[in-house]
Amino acid sequence: MPERWSDYLTIFMSALAVGYMVYEIDRRQRKLREIFDVLDAEDAAVTARLEDMVASGELQPYTGATLA
Amino acid sequence: MLQEAVVTEPSGRPGTRARAETEASPSTPRFRIFIVDTGWDSPGHKVLQENFGLIRELQREDPIYVLGREKSIEYLRHHEERIGHDPIIAVHDLAAMDDTGTADFHGFRLRLGLLRTHQQALLALQNFARFLRLHRQSTDLEGEIRRGLRREGLAGAIEIVLGHEAREIGG
Repeated sequence: MPERWSDYLTIFMSALAVGYMVYEIDRRQRKLREIFDVLDAEDAAVTARLEDMVASGELQPYTGATLA
Repeated sequence: MLQEAVVTEPSGRPGTRARAETEASPSTPRFRIFIVDTGWDSPGHKVLQENFGLIRELQREDPIYVLGREKSIEYLRHHEERIGHDPIIAVHDLAAMDDTGTADFHGFRLRLGLLRTHQQALLALQNFARFLRLHRQSTDLEGEIRRGLRREGLAGAIEIVLGHEAREIGG
């Protein structure tokens, strides 16, 4: 057991630092996933709709050099 | 100024080749690329407009489907939670879809509309284009993306602790 108040303070500050790191990593991963992420089962309906549009010919490969 | 780091190169550093490669010819389409853009006056929209030709040339093996304004608006009317996230570039991985359809991993997407500055959007688009080129023959694309996302989250946090401000492209 720590004997001095300064030991308690050190332990407390260390715990805060670790907690902050964990929080920051999680926050950044979530932020990154908002911008870039995989398509999986959650996106299945959207993907299927886009693929249907391609299969039906509703969407054709874009051949223009620039976007209109 | 210490800024929030969000790096959209989820897997593979520049120059890192995918370890495992498929037997398919490099010129065989691996992806279908879809662009949803309603035309918000945003940095992401401008960057995409300005660099689309280059993206097309870099990805010439893979067909690009542009939904156009009307179809993009219709798309977002059905997915209202994504309004303001566009331009969205969705990439369907044909190899994954051959194996599992859309029930599991089947591609990835970039939401350019979430980036606040021209520089952030341009960097994200460049990283995205690099990622597509580097990994178009990968046999474990999902694993590479997920590992990359974990690594980038950790790297960003470490940079904050160390007081660095590099790698910033998100806000």
